[in-house]
Formats: sequence, structure tokens, C-alpha cells
Amino acid sequence: MIRDTTIPLDSYRLAQYAVQVPCYICEGGNTFDAELCRHCFAPMALAHQANSQKVRPQMIAAIGPSGVGKTVYLGMLIDMLSRQVHRMQLLARGAFSITLQQMTTAALSRCKFPTKTPNEPDRWNWVHCQVRTPKQKRPIELIMPDMAGEAIIEEVDHPHTYHVIRALLSKCSGIMVMIDAMKLYEGTLDQDFFTMKLLSYLIELDNDPKHGWGQRPVALVFSKADQCEECFADPTAYAKSHTTGLWQHCQERFRDHAFFASGVAGACAFRAVKRDGHVRVPLRIEPRGIIEPFEWLVSRLKAN
Amino acid sequence: MTMNIRRIVTWIARAGLGHVRTARTILERLTPKNRRVVLWVSGIASLSCLVNGWFTGNYLAYGAGAAGLSYFALYLGGWSPPRKRREHELIATPQPAFAVHEEPPAEVEDLVEQMLKQGRYSLLLRPELIGNLTPDQVQRAWDLFEDRMSLVPEGELVVGRVGNALDEDESLDDEDLVSPGTVVRVEHFYLDRYPVTNRQFQAFVAAGGYEQMGIWDPEIWPGVLDFVDSTGVPGPRFWKHGRHASGEDHLPVVGISWYEAAAYARWVGKRLPTDPEWEKAGSWPVQLSATARPQRKYPWGESMDRGRCNLWGSGPNAPVAVADYAAGVSVGGVHQLVGNVWEWTTGNFGAWSYPSRDLILPVAMKSIRGGAFDTYYDNQATCQFQSGEDPVARKHNIGFRCAVSVCDLSLPGRVVASADFASDPSTRVAAEKVYA
Repeated sequence: MIRDTTIPLDSYRLAQYAVQVPCYICEGGNTFDAELCRHCFAPMALAHQANSQKVRPQMIAAIGPSGVGKTVYLGMLIDMLSRQVHRMQLLARGAFSITLQQMTTAALSRCKFPTKTPNEPDRWNWVHCQVRTPKQKRPIELIMPDMAGEAIIEEVDHPHTYHVIRALLSKCSGIMVMIDAMKLYEGTLDQDFFTMKLLSYLIELDNDPKHGWGQRPVALVFSKADQCEECFADPTAYAKSHTTGLWQHCQERFRDHAFFASGVAGACAFRAVKRDGHVRVPLRIEPRGIIEPFEWLVSRLKAN
Repeated sequence: MTMNIRRIVTWIARAGLGHVRTARTILERLTPKNRRVVLWVSGIASLSCLVNGWFTGNYLAYGAGAAGLSYFALYLGGWSPPRKRREHELIATPQPAFAVHEEPPAEVEDLVEQMLKQGRYSLLLRPELIGNLTPDQVQRAWDLFEDRMSLVPEGELVVGRVGNALDEDESLDDEDLVSPGTVVRVEHFYLDRYPVTNRQFQAFVAAGGYEQMGIWDPEIWPGVLDFVDSTGVPGPRFWKHGRHASGEDHLPVVGISWYEAAAYARWVGKRLPTDPEWEKAGSWPVQLSATARPQRKYPWGESMDRGRCNLWGSGPNAPVAVADYAAGVSVGGVHQLVGNVWEWTTGNFGAWSYPSRDLILPVAMKSIRGGAFDTYYDNQATCQFQSGEDPVARKHNIGFRCAVSVCDLSLPGRVVASADFASDPSTRVAAEKVYA
């Protein structure tokens, strides 16, 4: 059976299509009803929210190599700040901002780590949130993406491969660089080299003497520090002793930086999984040092 | 008496000549009473020498008196001369490692008093020792025992069952299938009402517990030297100079390995609880029929109440006194089974619980139970949840409490079941299997 339907001619739609909406991240033009930016694949909701609230959110990125714990860190941070508000309050803006928190919590509560973030930018989780501290009158609007480590490595090694990463990092007000404390403890130097490459990339990206990366706050966060207690005792001393090159690099090039230690799992083991071989699993969840780097960064944002 | 006079004379002579080190050694060998007498007599003698030397011009007497008096004054002020180290000590203990120990009591009565003071009442109630106690001492030991330990009745419980807390998610993988658990029978036992506190552990350290190799598992003997505090003195990891921080008497002791917990338990005449025992004390199962055994998820019931326990977000994010959160007490009167600090048990991680299935452990782990002040998720702080830790790890959030089997105690007339239990060889064998 054929049913006739009448579709009104929405001429105003044609007018809307004629006006390009710039992406908040890369500033590329998009149609008004695009879900993701056709240039960088960032959610267009970020641009719409910024326009409707007439506030330009600042951006903070968590970067590091694949498997360093960026997703766990960001998901845990958002969940902790949502649940315990006496230090800092975080309110998500938009349903898409809750996905990362939901995914991380669901995995960790079942003694699993969340699945690896895919390399495709259109499948990344973005968080747009409002952060309020007790001493602060006006809340800060923040955007934090959960990017894939392999994509970051690719962009650092071959600039302009991932347009979204380049655009985001050039606009970020501050950054959290994640470093695997366990690998450093075991004597692997990959983390040291990769972090230095990343910091060099940032300096090349914006070397402005007043507003460049040399002046912006950089939090260097040792992840998985629960596996080596000396890192928690004094992260700066740990950096000096285990990542001498990185420590020197920061002293010379970054005016505003600090080292932190964080951990989420009290203990870890491996599980044999049919498809993936041996997968690392947490035996219990005991977050430590999660809020401190973010708190420090936010305090620097205020100062800036 | 003659012996004491000879010692006094010897001591005065040597002190007068400045051999204070030798004098100190001799002093340490005397009983406290005799030591006081010697000290005062030598002090007066030194003063006499000094006065005599001053007036007569005998410089030898003057010097000896001055030296003796100086040592007397320094001794009263708490100074002790540097002890000569023997060669083997220099090799074995590079640091002035061990805390000042308590004097061993001279009489049996003093020993019993000291043990009661140290909280070793359970050891006194053992069949091997109870015969040496007076009825009054037995009564006092029993009063302490009843005050500090709770009886958990015998019965069956299901261990390792996967509840909906962990697997309510629909997107379960193949390895997340629900497990029915294992039915385990637990015999009568007593469990500490509170976790072991800093003050209680201090008695163990002060009594030289880290030097009594008999109470340590033989495999850890070489590792005991490594169990030092932040100043290099034997003790829990976060202590200083063999002592806990002031004001933390009633906080649970943390920063101790599984071996230190087991050694303390042996020292007080107890042991660490097994996993089924710990779980039974918290979940308090009731055997309604052959198959129906309702078990609590939390000591107070089925639903998490963060006002009853110290977990992440419900407390100061640090350990609290063991008597706090009294509303979280179990049916049997055991406090803080959930929250505050994880508790070591005798079991190996992987023996019972769900998360351990198909796990490849970096080291053989011991089981810990109950969650801690920084445990984030409610479903990881249930009576059923088991986590694991390296037995030599000395974490900031792991403590312990002790247990003792009824069959290991001599409590005539106190527990009706214990008499039958202890006399029945078949039951005892069954219990040994369970406890093993």
C-alpha cells in the first residue's frame, strides 16, 4: 500500500544550510545539522553549546602513548569530581559528555580496564563540562577529549596526519602529559623519549614567547604509580632519577610545569582472553592522585 | 646478697676508673630493684669520693668521684654509652636497628601480668599454658578474651558465588558467566572484634617480635631484616624510630606485610582468619534448609549504607579509629569488617573468588578482604569480594585482625560446644582440613 504524505517546504532550512557553522576545534565550516565536523570529526555540539551560552570554553588535553591510561584517568577524574564535590565540582554538558564516565565506571567496577580507544577521531569521546571550585565565583567551561595514543604518536611523527589533534593542541590552555611509571620503573626508556618528542612537538606548534607552549601550564602525570610507591612519595625526584632527559627538557623549555603521580588500581594481574591474549586487569579500584594534577591545571588557568 | 655486694664493689671500681661501658653492661644484667640500689649507692659513694678528694687533695679519689658522679647524672638523664659491636653484629645489622626492648620479667607471675598487658590473653588460654595460671589470672584472661573477641558459630556458607553486583551488565563476556560458588563448612572460631591497632602492634615491636624467629615463617627469615620503618628500625613501614605517630594509638596498623601480620598473630596466640571464616563473620549465613542459606552482602544487610563504613567518599579518605562507624557492626559484634583497611587472611588469592578465575598473577598473592578507606566501588567492599596482594607488600591501606579456633583454647565450661568439639577427633580432623 502506498501512503501519500505531505512534506512542507521548510525554506528556512535552505537559509540555515547556506550559513556555515565553524567547528569549535578546527574552525572548518559545517552545515548547521552536522553531528561531527567534516574536517576534524570533533562533535559539532561543542560549537553549538559555545554559541548558545556565549562562553568560549577552554580546552585541556590528556596526551600520552597508547596504553598509558588516558581513558582511565579522564573517566575516573570526571566520575570522582561528579561524586565528591567539596574540592571541585564538575557538571557535564550534553549527553555525549557522560559516555566516557559511564564506559570507564562500568569497566572498572567489574575489575576490567576500559577497551582501547579507537584510532578513528569520529569514535573518540569528548567531554564538555563546567568546573567550579569553592573559592571561585564563576565556573570554568572546559572541553577535554579522550584521544587515541596511537593517533597522537602518528601525528607527532608525521604532522598533519590528524588534523583534530593539531588543531586541539594548538588551542589548549593547559595539558596533562601521561607517563607510564611502571615502564620507567622497569627501566624502559620509551616513555622518556616519547614524552620528549611530544613536548618538542608542542613547542614547535606554538613557540610564541608570550602565549606559546613554553608559557602554558604542563602537568606531567606518572600513571600506574600505584605499582611503585616511591613515585608517589616524590614525583619530581622520581622524574629526576628515572627520566633525566625529560626532566632537563622541562626545566629548559617549560616555565610552568609540575610532576604528579596517579594510580587507579590497588593491584593488577593478567587474564587470559581468547581473542586478545593476556589482558591486564585491576584487582581492586583505589584512585590516588587523580584530582591533584587537574586541580593544579585549573588553578593555573585561572591565573592565566 | 654477697653476690650483689661483689657486683656493687665491682661496679664502683670500674665506674670510678671510667669503664662506663662495662658498668652499663653489668647494670643491664641486674634486676630493676637491684639496679636502683646499685645506682644510688654508687652515686653516694662517688659523691663521697669527690668531697673526700676535694678536702684531702687526693686527686685520684677526686677524679674517680667526679667521673662516677658524672656517669650517675648522665644515666639518670637517659644517656647510654655507645655499645661495642661484635663482628657478627656489624655484618648482620648495619644500623642500630632494634628498638629498646622491654625487660624480661623475673617471675612467672610478672610474666603473666606482662602478657596480659601485651594483649596475649589468647596464648595464656591455650591448654599448654593455662595450668600455670591462678584462677584469678584465668578469669582476667577470659574477661579480656570475651571483651575483644567474638564467637562465630559453626555452619556452612557459599564462598566464591558471583552475585549480580559484579555481573549485572548485559554485555558479559564468555568468561563472566555466573558461578554458583562452593559450599564450605566452618567450625566454631573466635574473631577479633576490631582490627589490630597501632598500640597493640607497638607491644609486639617493643617486645622484640622482629627478632623472635620462631614466630616467623621460615621462608621469610632472610626478608625480616627488610621489614623496617621509614627510619630503618624494625616496624611497620610508615612508623618512625620503631614507634607509630602520636595520636594514632587506636588507628588500625597498616604498612605491614602478610608475614608481619602472621608473626604478630602467632605472638599473641592467634592466627589470621581463613577466607571462609572471614566471610562467615561478615555475611552471617543462616541455614534455613539444605539448599537455602541467606548470606548478607554487607555486615548490616543487603544494601550499601555509606554512613556505616569508611570507604572512598564516606570518610576522611584516611584510616579512622577502629571503634568508629559502630553502626556497621556485624550480627556477631565484629566491627569494621567492611571499610577502613583491607584485612589479610591466610588464604591464597585465587582459591575461592570470582575475579581470580583464569588470572595470571605476577606473584603468588595472599587474599585481602573488606575494602579500605579508598575503595571506590561499593561492589568491591562486600563480604564476598576478594582481592589479592603480594604477601611482602606493605601497603598504606592493608591491616589485619586475628582469629583463634575454639579447639585451640582451653575454656572449660565456657563454651558448651567447645568441649564436645575438642573431644571429638573426627570433628577436629575436619576442622584442621578446613583451616589448612
